[in-house]
Amino acid sequence: MGVTKKYWKGIEELKQTPDFIQQRDHEFPYPSSLASFLSDEKLAEASTGRRDFLKFLGFSVAAATLVACEAPVTKAVPYVVKPEQVTPGVATWYASTYYDGISYASILVKTREARPIFIKGNADFGFTRGGTNPQIIASVLGLYDSDRLNGVRKKGSDANILVSEADKAVVTALSKAKDVVVLTPTVISPSIENALENLTLKYSVNGQSAVKVVQYDPISYSAIRKANALNFGEGRIPSYDFSKAKTVVSVGADFLSTWLLANEYAVQYGSTRNPDGAWMSKHFQFESIMSITGSNADYRAQAKPSEYVGILNYLLKGLVGEGSGSSSLSKEATATADAAIKALKKAKGESLVVCGSNDLGEQLLVNAINQQLGAYGVTIDLNNEVRLFQGNDEEVNALFSRIISGKPPEVLINLGTNPVYNSPNGVSLKKGLERIGLVVSTARYADETSSSASYIVPDHHALEGWCDYRPKEDHYAVAQPTIRPLGDTYSSLESLLVWAGKAKRGGKDSSVAYDTISAGRLDFANLVHNSCETLNITPFIPAFTEKRLNSQTKSGDWEVVFYQKTGIRDGAMPSNPWLQELPDPISKVTWDNYITMNPGQMEEMGYATTFDQETGLNMATVNVNGQSLTLPVYPQPGQAANTIGIALGYGRGSSGEAIGRAAYQTKEYGGMDLDANGLKKPIGSNAFTCLTVAGSQILYSAPVSIQKAEGEYPIAATQIHHTVMGRESIVKETVLGEYLSKDKETYNPAHKLQRLNEHGHHEEAAIEEFDLWNAHPVEKVGHRWGMTVDLSSCIGCGSCLVACQAENNVPVVGKDEVRRGREMHWLRIDRYYASGVESTVGEKKEDGTFGYTEAEIAADNPAVVHMPLMCHHCNHAPCETVCPVAATTHSNEGLNQMTYNRCIGTRYCANNCPYKVRRFNWFNYPSYKKFTEINPAQDDLGRMVLNPDVTVRTRGVMEKCSFCVQRIQSVKLEAKKASRTVQDGDLKTACSEACPTQAITVGDWNDNSSNVYKSAEDKRSYQALEEVGIKPNVWYKVKVRNEG
Amino acid sequence: MKIPENRKGLITLKKFILLLCCVAVVEYAPLFAQGEALYKAKCASCHQIEKNGTGPMLKGARQRWIDAGEGDLIVEWVQNNAALRNSGKSKRAAAVYKEYGGAVMQIFSEVTPEQVNQILDYADAPPVAPPPGTAPGVPATDPNVPVEEDGGISNVWWLLAVVFIVIILSVSGVRRQLKYATSEKAPDNSLSYWDEFKILAWKNRAISGVVGLVLTIASVVLVFQSLGSINLMEDYQPSQPIAFPHSQHAGVNGIDCKYCHNSVEKSKSAGFPTVNVCMNCHKQINGKDAAQQEQIAKIYVAAGWDPTIKPAGAYTGKTKPIVWNKVHVLPDHVYFNHSQHVVAGKINCTQCHGDMKQMEETAKVVPVAELNNVEGNLPLTKPTLTMGWCIECHGKKEVVIGDGSNAYYDEIHKRLKNNKKLYQQYLKDGKLTASELGGWECAKCHY
Repeated sequence: MGVTKKYWKGIEELKQTPDFIQQRDHEFPYPSSLASFLSDEKLAEASTGRRDFLKFLGFSVAAATLVACEAPVTKAVPYVVKPEQVTPGVATWYASTYYDGISYASILVKTREARPIFIKGNADFGFTRGGTNPQIIASVLGLYDSDRLNGVRKKGSDANILVSEADKAVVTALSKAKDVVVLTPTVISPSIENALENLTLKYSVNGQSAVKVVQYDPISYSAIRKANALNFGEGRIPSYDFSKAKTVVSVGADFLSTWLLANEYAVQYGSTRNPDGAWMSKHFQFESIMSITGSNADYRAQAKPSEYVGILNYLLKGLVGEGSGSSSLSKEATATADAAIKALKKAKGESLVVCGSNDLGEQLLVNAINQQLGAYGVTIDLNNEVRLFQGNDEEVNALFSRIISGKPPEVLINLGTNPVYNSPNGVSLKKGLERIGLVVSTARYADETSSSASYIVPDHHALEGWCDYRPKEDHYAVAQPTIRPLGDTYSSLESLLVWAGKAKRGGKDSSVAYDTISAGRLDFANLVHNSCETLNITPFIPAFTEKRLNSQTKSGDWEVVFYQKTGIRDGAMPSNPWLQELPDPISKVTWDNYITMNPGQMEEMGYATTFDQETGLNMATVNVNGQSLTLPVYPQPGQAANTIGIALGYGRGSSGEAIGRAAYQTKEYGGMDLDANGLKKPIGSNAFTCLTVAGSQILYSAPVSIQKAEGEYPIAATQIHHTVMGRESIVKETVLGEYLSKDKETYNPAHKLQRLNEHGHHEEAAIEEFDLWNAHPVEKVGHRWGMTVDLSSCIGCGSCLVACQAENNVPVVGKDEVRRGREMHWLRIDRYYASGVESTVGEKKEDGTFGYTEAEIAADNPAVVHMPLMCHHCNHAPCETVCPVAATTHSNEGLNQMTYNRCIGTRYCANNCPYKVRRFNWFNYPSYKKFTEINPAQDDLGRMVLNPDVTVRTRGVMEKCSFCVQRIQSVKLEAKKASRTVQDGDLKTACSEACPTQAITVGDWNDNSSNVYKSAEDKRSYQALEEVGIKPNVWYKVKVRNEG
Repeated sequence: MKIPENRKGLITLKKFILLLCCVAVVEYAPLFAQGEALYKAKCASCHQIEKNGTGPMLKGARQRWIDAGEGDLIVEWVQNNAALRNSGKSKRAAAVYKEYGGAVMQIFSEVTPEQVNQILDYADAPPVAPPPGTAPGVPATDPNVPVEEDGGISNVWWLLAVVFIVIILSVSGVRRQLKYATSEKAPDNSLSYWDEFKILAWKNRAISGVVGLVLTIASVVLVFQSLGSINLMEDYQPSQPIAFPHSQHAGVNGIDCKYCHNSVEKSKSAGFPTVNVCMNCHKQINGKDAAQQEQIAKIYVAAGWDPTIKPAGAYTGKTKPIVWNKVHVLPDHVYFNHSQHVVAGKINCTQCHGDMKQMEETAKVVPVAELNNVEGNLPLTKPTLTMGWCIECHGKKEVVIGDGSNAYYDEIHKRLKNNKKLYQQYLKDGKLTASELGGWECAKCHY
């Protein structure tokens, strides 16, 4: 019977009858209700009864279970010839260098079985002194992106071609062309500079080179170079030294996160924020958006971008002593500026003023102020030029208008820039590029610009090839490969040399780049070991020439600031899910861009200022310069009135380019979300289209008009509450004057609880006197691992979070899950705004005067505290007592252990955790279809990034910070093997290693000479929620602001 | 050792062949035990006794130096050959260096002159044929001692059982037919065997009730026991691409485990020997018979070594890694570190892997009963490679601390004395075990 039926079905299938197609496309052939189904009389006659069905089911489950009991055969393939440095099971570290066009750092790369799996800053070599940022740490994941090009592509084909074919076409075109342009990101590699020189010499027409090199930065700093050209005769970006600056004034520069060499500055800045040091820097910030830098300022004033010039003028006048001239500034800004002038005068010669604007007039003013302060030669070193960001807006704009207006060069060599995406006229530029005879690109992805190139000869990932860099005049560094190229990729250096006729393709050994860089170096092995060296430079004695120009920044009723987010930056890593899911350190929003606006003004204008899992935010359309963007409006405390902020770097791949799956929106149950045209939907909108060019400079602010738009938009934020709501045992802060002059009880009072004494009277007693549990024997016996977090040093940059994710195989869950509060980060950084209602530490609140509703409203210009929160490994852990299966237990080293294979997922522990740091695996993230596009562990290639020492957790189990127990075990083992004690500093958790300001200290608390013991016993130390009496092994240190 | 019945004869034969091999290859020299140990630890990877290999054969090496008139320099040569060559005072040194194509010998500055002489004495000693059954590494195969019986039920018994059942059934069938035939009544066809059985059982309900109960309980117990053995790895012995006899390498030749599994002291994994390690010896040793040659040829394919290239074979550059089947497979949620156990814990390899010197076939997961038979092993009860087995050992194994042998444990001892009560509690059973130092804590192995 069954056979006959199948047969007919086959015929229908063959003929593709409409009925068949309908049946095929619908899971249920005919719409039928349950009632009609059950009332079908034939149902009773069916041969397989319900009970039989259940029997079959039961049998097949049992059979399947038994079959699954057979262990699979595991293969082991040893090396044929083992490389000397590699021991399977032992990590090998390589010193290298990271440069991606906007960030630079000396790094150490950890490889396991020849796979790079972790990046950290190199604290021993290089001027970045171990400072990195979330992008650098997360870049290791980009290596394993399966959407990265794995071979040479020709336009119109998805198949790889031989590189020789592309080379032939390029060389032929070059030898015929009279007008060739090489468009490149800023070249800081001496070898590539040399290769470009060779190219220009090789191809010439009538003695004139046909090749012109144009450097193009996605984020322009050309105003600084131009201002210095006018003032000092040479267009340099100087080296800034924040470690020597006792007073720092920043006007709109986010120098701790995204401005210039922010990772270097963060390390320097961190060294000046120790209240116990000889001095503590005083930091003033004037800005429109709430930036990471602004959130760390001792004094922060809000200002519109068009007011920056006024502030700078006011500062200059104040310093010169012309008194406070006509001040168009707000009262608040004036007061802050006056305080700044006072502090600058006090720290004359040891201060620094920086400005984030790309306006020439404003940068000239900054130079004048710094000249007045005597900062040159102390905190500003013009002698040691920063060679990053050499792009010249004028040159770039001229080239782009040539291409757009139909007079393009004959051949364009694009060394991986993406102007179609990140220049204001991207759309017309794309059309113009298509008219060029031959465009060859070395981009790693077929992105917005390169997807229309005639040929793409993809460059290696930064971890795959040799390169050299000269980021500063006196600094030479080498990047070495840490893995053999995964695809058929070719270093840009090699490609240029091949096209210049100077080399032949060297294959996967990267021999061309190696030979070029190592040529004539006898000490090359030593150089590679250190990764860098210091060069002697010819001194440049700057003579200051006064020069002033008007600011080109236009003012408007409303003004917009286009800023970079620490995770996304210029949008060059859109498919890195670690970065997309990194909560923005200020807004805590993941996977999105949005308009930031002052919550007070939002209320006036009728926008919703609260949101949660169910309710989203209102949309608004902004018009800048004829361009419009529609985005949700996010309430940002501290945003200057009448300004909005929009992050750059979103809206990648608007034509569905293959730039990686995580760069696009996904559907609720997995799969790409497609729009009406069948194109993948980008995340957010591209704000680069709204940038304006004023007087040859690209400006990152503009007048704007804003209208409320239809619709509500769901937002995935990891923290939707703003303030600590008066719970002073979570965050403690004080000001420097008080800290230095008063005793501990004033700024860090011990928590006391009330009890009845033997006379029946209330008395106060210290926390230690109340205890429900017996002491756990960890004190002074064996090890007791502890951690302190200095809230004074923590700048909230987010590096620790990404490092933790990389080290501990923390899954990515996507926007929809984050919105449901199911993010998996083991470490989160809570950001609290100080609300006006909150009482100061140590002060009792009167009953009835404290309302939590008001406490939740942040002040208009709030102070901010960043507080990293991970598992506290409480010695009296509440999670341990409620676990019914003892899956979470306490170790005799003070660790709260989580045993995944014992956990049955009751989630009682998470419920009982006062810090809310436990995370539950709601899904099988490494295999469930919902996470296929975003979770790297679902991809054969992406899986390579997993740390083999840490279990990948499955559905239904709890997980949490383990204090990097794999590292603890490893340092103990190394000590045992070497017959020595564990030294202080041996243990570094992923977070403490990533921290640029060394806010996190870890170690053995039982070792009385250890830093962590000293830090935990410090008078600034306290424990969060101490009154609960759970004896955590994490201490925080009171935040000290240098106010007053 | 569990060996299938039909293979026992073959194995006995193999043992005999091995015995002969070991007589031929290895010098049995109890008088020079010191020299033998040194030779195996330091020299064996490059030098053979009676054949030139990577380096010259050691037999007669001393005489050759004496013949060259430089008998007093051989010690210097062994200790630091590079220094001797560079000093230019020895012609023999230069000659040997040239003869072996400039292959550099390792520096052994730690070897004393006496030790050099011990090694050379050992190399020059005439081969002594070991008495049968006492050769190192070869198990005693006294024909008078019966081969140990297998514990399982042999197939013969099963066959007998089937025959008996058939006989019983046929006899009862005949009986039934006879009964009908002799009976006056017409045969009652409505009664089937099953009905008859039911009637019989009802008649003897006391007995059948007891029997039924016993059967039910027995089958439940059996099911539970068999469930408990699911995924037990004991005796797991996957097939391997190369029939590698540990007994030959570790047993007869006395190669130290760490020579091939050389990351055991450095890494979590002991490490499969890489093909270049095999080639250190097998460049010269290509097998005594066709069977051995066939196996060793597989190494040559892997290494890309062509022994037919004149004069002495050469590498072709075409390599093909060997794909082994892993024997000891731990689940992904278990972290095990070899170096922890071997270096810090000073555990002998035999504790978990048994006596590989006697393992003629490729490796297997050795059952705990066999492990307990190995001398020096801590006896355990739980099946090998189960968590029970691990924690049993952690609970029994004594950790020596505070004796000055390891500064790490001295510090732990010092700190432990801060809590006298706890320390006394630990010492109640007279020893400090790994579990008392935290060896039973989850996050020691699971993270």
